[in-house]
Amino acid sequence: MVGPQYDFLSNPLGAVRSTFDTAIASGTDPSSFEGRDWGALPLFRRFLFDQSGISQVPLLTPTSIRFLRPHTLVRYRGMIQDMPGNEFYVGAYKDGSVWRTNKFMDVSQYPICSSADTRIWERRLLYCVPVPGLSPWTEVSAEEFGNLSMDWMSDSREKRRRDEESSDAPVSYDEVQDSPNSKRMREGEDSSTSPHSSGAATDIASSATRSGYDIGSNSPPCLVKVYDSPESEMKLNDIFEFVGILTSPELQEDNEDSDLSNGFSEDPLRHFPPNQVPRLHCFIHRKLGIRDFLQNNPTVEPKPDLVKGIREALLRHLTAILGNDDVTSHFMLLHLLSKVHARDNDLAVGKLSLNLTCFKKEAVSVFGKQLTLVLKNLLPFTFCIPLTVEYLNTVSLAPKKNYDTNRLETGVLQLAEGSHLIVDETKLDAGTLNSVGVENCRLLKNLMELQQVEYDFKYYKMDMKTDTQLLILSEGKSNILPADVIVPFHPSSSSCPEAVTAEVLEAWRWYLATVRQLPHSIEQEMQKEVERDLVAARQEDRSLGPQDLSRLLTMGRLMSLSYGETSLSLEHWQMVKELERLRRQRLQ
Amino acid sequence: MTTKDLDFNADIALAKDFLSNFADATGEAKYLNILQDVANHKTKAVQIDLEDLINYKDLDEEFLRRVTENTRRYIGIFSNAVDELMPESTEAFTDDDHDILMTQRTDEGGEGVDGSDPLQKMPPEIKRYYELYIKASSKGRPFTIREVKASNIGQLVRISGIVTRCSDVKPLMKVAVYTCEDCGFEIYQEVTARVFMPLFECPSKRCDTNRRKGNVILQLRASKFLRFQEAKIQELAEHVPKGHIPRTMTVHLRGELTRKVAPGDVVEFSGIFLPIPYTGFRAMRAGLVADTYLEAMSVTHFKRKYEEYELRGDEEEQIARLAEDGDIYNKLSRSLAPEIFGHDDIKKALLLLLVGAPHRTLKDGMKIRGDLHICLMGDPGVAKSQLLKHIINVAPRGVYTTGRGSSGVGLTAAVQKDPVTNEMVLEGGALVLADMGICAIDEFDKMDESDRTAIHEVMEQQTVSIAKAGITTSLNARTAVLAAANPAWGRYDLRRTPAENINLPHALLSRFDLLWLILDRADMDNDLEMARHVVYVHQNKESPALGFTPLEPSVLRAYISAARRLSPSVPRELEEYIATAYSSIRQEEARSNAPHSYTTVRTLLSILRISAALARLRFSETVAQSDVDEALRLMQMSKFSLYSDDRQKSGLDAISDIYSIVRDEAARGNRVDVSYAHALNWISRKGYSEAQLKECLEEYAALNVWQIHPHTFDIRFIDA
Repeated sequence: MVGPQYDFLSNPLGAVRSTFDTAIASGTDPSSFEGRDWGALPLFRRFLFDQSGISQVPLLTPTSIRFLRPHTLVRYRGMIQDMPGNEFYVGAYKDGSVWRTNKFMDVSQYPICSSADTRIWERRLLYCVPVPGLSPWTEVSAEEFGNLSMDWMSDSREKRRRDEESSDAPVSYDEVQDSPNSKRMREGEDSSTSPHSSGAATDIASSATRSGYDIGSNSPPCLVKVYDSPESEMKLNDIFEFVGILTSPELQEDNEDSDLSNGFSEDPLRHFPPNQVPRLHCFIHRKLGIRDFLQNNPTVEPKPDLVKGIREALLRHLTAILGNDDVTSHFMLLHLLSKVHARDNDLAVGKLSLNLTCFKKEAVSVFGKQLTLVLKNLLPFTFCIPLTVEYLNTVSLAPKKNYDTNRLETGVLQLAEGSHLIVDETKLDAGTLNSVGVENCRLLKNLMELQQVEYDFKYYKMDMKTDTQLLILSEGKSNILPADVIVPFHPSSSSCPEAVTAEVLEAWRWYLATVRQLPHSIEQEMQKEVERDLVAARQEDRSLGPQDLSRLLTMGRLMSLSYGETSLSLEHWQMVKELERLRRQRLQ
Repeated sequence: MTTKDLDFNADIALAKDFLSNFADATGEAKYLNILQDVANHKTKAVQIDLEDLINYKDLDEEFLRRVTENTRRYIGIFSNAVDELMPESTEAFTDDDHDILMTQRTDEGGEGVDGSDPLQKMPPEIKRYYELYIKASSKGRPFTIREVKASNIGQLVRISGIVTRCSDVKPLMKVAVYTCEDCGFEIYQEVTARVFMPLFECPSKRCDTNRRKGNVILQLRASKFLRFQEAKIQELAEHVPKGHIPRTMTVHLRGELTRKVAPGDVVEFSGIFLPIPYTGFRAMRAGLVADTYLEAMSVTHFKRKYEEYELRGDEEEQIARLAEDGDIYNKLSRSLAPEIFGHDDIKKALLLLLVGAPHRTLKDGMKIRGDLHICLMGDPGVAKSQLLKHIINVAPRGVYTTGRGSSGVGLTAAVQKDPVTNEMVLEGGALVLADMGICAIDEFDKMDESDRTAIHEVMEQQTVSIAKAGITTSLNARTAVLAAANPAWGRYDLRRTPAENINLPHALLSRFDLLWLILDRADMDNDLEMARHVVYVHQNKESPALGFTPLEPSVLRAYISAARRLSPSVPRELEEYIATAYSSIRQEEARSNAPHSYTTVRTLLSILRISAALARLRFSETVAQSDVDEALRLMQMSKFSLYSDDRQKSGLDAISDIYSIVRDEAARGNRVDVSYAHALNWISRKGYSEAQLKECLEEYAALNVWQIHPHTFDIRFIDA
């Protein structure tokens, strides 16, 4: 299998080994690597980016996992949900007189003799899940990896079988000393081989849907093993694209062994059974933003006139959806563009949560549904929480560390950056909240006000920053969720909006994803003007706090961004003030 | 191999040399004394402190490095050295099973036919009845769990963390002893891993030569066991980088170190970072993945109290430098919640709350509290909660709770049934948890009346009494209470009287040393300031510069803890002064027809407490007059924050009021010359500023009432 020429796609380990051998041959002492790269990564980087091989790398999805062979190069997109910590592994060992490496591998290629000279290195484990609330339109179309998987499919069956019998079988069982354990193992192994060779991948596919993360999403959970990258690069809840070697469930977990090692020295991976969670040994990773989820990401300059056209169309559409309520649709547009762009102490600058009030139960069924649908079509990650007393009392909103399984159990509020969350409060009836409910209310309020979620580590809590757009639908002003802007919703008609073509939709998605990333500034002159207006507003109404002033500025920023402009103009500021005046009029 | 052995022999000699010759600060042979205690069965643990090795006069740097990097090996070497050095016992003690067995074994040992048989040789381990630990030097900062890397394997490291899980204590076999049914010999098997393969056949020479497969029986009584416990520690919240998840690590505790930790403890372990040797089937995979653990060598519990706060490194020097700076009072108070604009006097009061006064116990056993209680009252959105939270962050031990969220039980203590054992257990509430610290209670006004009464006891007696479910007890709650409340109608209603607005029972209010009202008044300058701030934050994505560099919370904490060590006393000559001040407040109150406050003995105690706290801040053992003056000023300011409107109503403008104060004070002292400093003192006590005083001086000088010294601003009255 290891040839002088290696194929990056089907035999990436060949590249790893040959570079390792070259490095050793050039006289480098393996102990000096300490797990660092010896020249394999530049090779892959060149292949993936300079030779744009990345488009040939198949994406790991529940469908594609059936065709993907272990030890091949794959791509995976997901959100980091948990960080199980570091794993220490024998990185290099001496097989006779030859140094070999185990980097990017789960099992050793050759059995390691117990007295061999070994070097222990470490790698980082990341448990990744599909991005929560991923909209279906982000799914990579079948064509993208189709032609690749097609020719694999034809020969994958027999090839798999052959591979498993050949050198890929990691450890021959004869090596095991004759202990009482080994017999049992051997039996276990026998029984497990048959489902193994035929349907291990199918297991993964089916279990992925079982695990509850990913109804209709496009990737299974995955345990990514990361080498050679600083820790600070990858944060919890970040979305990443990993390119690396897929390893399949080769070894049955030896759970029977657990009675011997009662205690906590258990394998940290016990709770990620490999037949449900594939492993990926990562070569290269790339942080993804919202724009990376657009279908054919056009790299167009956001020119003001182009942006303006899209803005008008989108606004018209939103107005139609919202029953010709012009004020509400303007606020909705600003809300959809909001993004936390700075933090000052506990203050999240740039958020604009929206509370649409006067939503009667019947209005929800008409406008609420339409709105949800439209938002799902426009934004990559959307979520909807129907707020009821029962829901509040039972659901676990915040992620919680489970010390029995040593895993971070996810909660509804563990969301990727830039997610959109609709909270439907119209379903809330009078009732009693238990302690869970009270805690959940507090969490939602914290999320609203500070854009952070408290993760429960039992002995202490940790605040994790988030950036979530929050939209609340309620009958009266929501007191559980104090939003930045409260707009009474006054629809005048319930006309059905006209159908939208796919291109138009795509343009809108591009608009929403691009415009909100634009930089923004306020000129000196304008600053004075704004300050004067704010002071005047506060002199008039004492109840305006710093939050309200901050909100007005945020609205000004979003207003000019929505026109694709990067500095606040007097015209846009006047529009914001007018909008605010109309809103206050409604509130009275 | 032979050179290696030689090395180790040399190291044993080094170890012996160190153990027998090391003398601690008092000149005692520390380790020989420990060994004597071990020989006398007084102690079991021999702890070798690497600190001692570093301080040892004939230190071999290489040796020290070897010990830290290959600690497990050196435990064996030191054990060998201890074996050789072990003195005879000097005191009689009753033999236990172990000793009897040992005597028998040594008796039999002589007649051993095939003594050369290595399996029959007694391993030194079984003879030892001590446990040897090597403790890492406590100098420097301990590692966090994520800083321990693969390169640390085998080394002695110090790690801090919080214990999340603890297993039961179980016996761990150290030496397995068998007897052979055929030859009757004792066979020893040393166990080094957690799992071992028991012997089934007698390996002794006699059985071997007789070609008998002797049946061996494991002798549990003769075998050596160690107590063994496993624990998991997790990184402390403050060590976790933003956006990451705390890491965990397994810790193995043996022998004397077991039962030292419980879940929730914040501890510092020193220990050896080791990979777990896999056995059996796992060994195959072990080729690739190694589990690691920390073999604990010592456990230290962290204490988060002022009294036990240890100054680190340069902190002592920093404090000394700060103390020399005359303006420390202002500097420290400004560094509290620096991002909150203004409120200088309130911050000063909060600083004094952190410092507190010493507790006093009178001869008859009565206790007088030293903790200051402060209540902040004010309109919503004036940063009360932020102030509270900031104070809690600065205090080494602080609990934040809201009145609405906690019932009386949640604040004081509760008796609960343990779900596992069905026993009644006492669980401390927020106030008990804040013992020797600060308890911040937000939304004080929203609390139920019945719950609030539970606080009465805490605030004056500083205990929590419980009489519930057959348990009657009294828990200490020596805590300073910092409360925040809204006025009765949410916003301060200027048309109503202060008493109506505050709406808290007087019994409670009188327990607060200082009560502060923060109003949100319409003020153009403030509004502009706020607008500027908001615009600045939006523009620059950070808060505007403060104009001064606030001290780090850690420095604040260190300074305060240093200040808290003092217990200043009131000198005799000041007693009169304080008494006069107190009586004048009483008289003033008697004169007015609608008193707002009730000046009681509690007020007097408050004055003393605040003065003592101020003296502590100056690192002085005696209270000075300036401390008392500042205390009186603060109390006056707090009163004015409540009743300032009355002052305006009384018709006197500030300038003429200042004049009358100065005139009265001068008249009382029967003098015509008044120094500027004195005048400033008097008027500031009444809540006026220096600027106002200057204005007054100029105005009245123009009227030829007094003359002002052009440089010192001293006042001389012109007799009419």
